[in-house]
Amino acid sequence: MSPDAALIERLLERDVRAFEELYDRHSRIVYSLVLRILQQASTAEEVVQDIFLQLWRNAALYDGARGPFLPWLLTLARNRALDHLRRKSERQRRREDQSDELPPASVSAPDFEGNLDLQRRAARVRELMSGLKPQQRQAIELAYFEGLSHSEIASRLEEPLGTVKSWIRNGLLKLKEGLGATA
Amino acid sequence: MSSSDTTRDPYLALIEAYALGALDTDERALLEAHLAAGCAECARSLEQARSVVSQLAYLAPAAQPSRMLRGRLLKTVRDEARTGNAPTPAPAKAIPLWLWAGVAAAFLLALYNLHEAQSTHEAIRRAQAALDEQIQLQKKSAQDLRAARREAWILTDPKSVRIAMPAGKTGFPELQATWHAALGIVISGEKLPVPGGKRTLQLWFVPKAAGGKPIPSRNVRPESDGRFHLLVEEPPERQGDTKLLAITEEPEGGSEQPTTPPIWVGAVQSR
Repeated sequence: MSPDAALIERLLERDVRAFEELYDRHSRIVYSLVLRILQQASTAEEVVQDIFLQLWRNAALYDGARGPFLPWLLTLARNRALDHLRRKSERQRRREDQSDELPPASVSAPDFEGNLDLQRRAARVRELMSGLKPQQRQAIELAYFEGLSHSEIASRLEEPLGTVKSWIRNGLLKLKEGLGATA
Repeated sequence: MSSSDTTRDPYLALIEAYALGALDTDERALLEAHLAAGCAECARSLEQARSVVSQLAYLAPAAQPSRMLRGRLLKTVRDEARTGNAPTPAPAKAIPLWLWAGVAAAFLLALYNLHEAQSTHEAIRRAQAALDEQIQLQKKSAQDLRAARREAWILTDPKSVRIAMPAGKTGFPELQATWHAALGIVISGEKLPVPGGKRTLQLWFVPKAAGGKPIPSRNVRPESDGRFHLLVEEPPERQGDTKLLAITEEPEGGSEQPTTPPIWVGAVQSR
C-alpha cells in the first residue's frame, strides 16, 4: 500500500495526524498549481483550504482503485481553481486589492524542497515540455492553466483549429511517452 | 486494424484533449456519450491521460502556502475531530468484532446453561437482528457513498452546466441545478416551504421540440428544516434537447403530467 493510500485509510478513521501528514506532503504542489491558475495568493489559499477541508470531511471521495492519490488530488485542485476562475468576471478580478497579487519571490519555496521525488518529477516534466515547440507548449498551458478549449486557443494564438488540436494531442502523447519511460 | 479498432479510433483520438478539458462542446458531448455507454478501453485510456495531464501541475512556479493557512486548517480539523462534526461517510467495513463476539457468547451460554436456553435463543435472535441491521446499514452506506462521489464530480467538474432556478412565488428561495452531460443532475436549495400533507416536489424536463410535453422525473419532499436535495443519475432527456427544467408540487408518488403550475423554472443552456 502506498504511503498516501495508508494516510487516506487513517483519514477515514478521523486521524488528525494523517491529515497533517497529507497536507505537509502535498500542500506545496497543490498551492503552486492553484496560485498559477488564479494568480492571487489570498484567493489561492481559500481554494486550497476548501480542497483540504473537503478531503478531511469526505476522504471517501477518493477511490484507490482508480489510480494513485496525487493525480486525483491535482485534478480536483485544478477543477476547483478553474471553476473559481470562471465564476469570477474579469471586472471583479481587476477590482481586487492590488496588494493581493502574487507573493514576492522570497516567499516562494525554491522548488518543492524537502521532497526529492517531487523535484525530480517536476524537472522531468519541464524537460519534456521544453522539448516541444514553443507554440505547442503554449497551447497545452493555455488549456491546462486557463481552461481554454481548442477553438479558444486557436483564436488566442491565431492558428488553424486543426493545427492546435494536433499540437495538443501530439504534445500530450510525447509527455505520456516520456513519463512512461521514466516511471 | 480491425473494424472495431476503426470504430474506436475517433474516440481514442479525443481522449487526451478531453482529459485536458480542451474539447469543444460537440466533440465533448460525443465522447461523453461514448464513455457513458461503457467503453472500457476508452475509460482506461482516459484514466491514463488524466494521470499524464495532472503532471502538468509541475509546470507551475513553485510556491509555498502561508503557515497561517496550515494553522487555520489544522485548528478546524482538530475542532471537528473533537466535536465529531462533519463526519466522513463510512465506507463498507467488516462486520464489527463485538457483534460476532455477541453471537459467540450467546451460543456458549446456551451450551453451558441449558435451563436458560430460551433466553439464550432470544439473545441470538437479537444479535442476528442487529447483524442484519448492520448489513443493511452497510449496503445503504455503500449506496450513499456512490451517490456522494457522483455528486462531487457533477458539482466540481468544470464541464457541468449550472442552471439557476428562480421561484415564481414570492418568498420562495432560488434553487441551483448543476447538470453534467454524462453523470446527471444535482438540484439543491434551502429554506423551502414544506408541501402540505404527503404532497411532493417533482422535477420536469421541458423539451425544445415544439409541442413537446413535459417529461416527468424524480420527486422528493424537502427535509423538515426546508433543505431540498435531488440527484437524477439518468435524466430522461439530453441537455441539448431540453429547454427548461421545472419543479411543481404534486400528489405523493408524483404525476405523469403536471397537475399544478411550476414553482421553479430554469432555462437550460447546454455547453
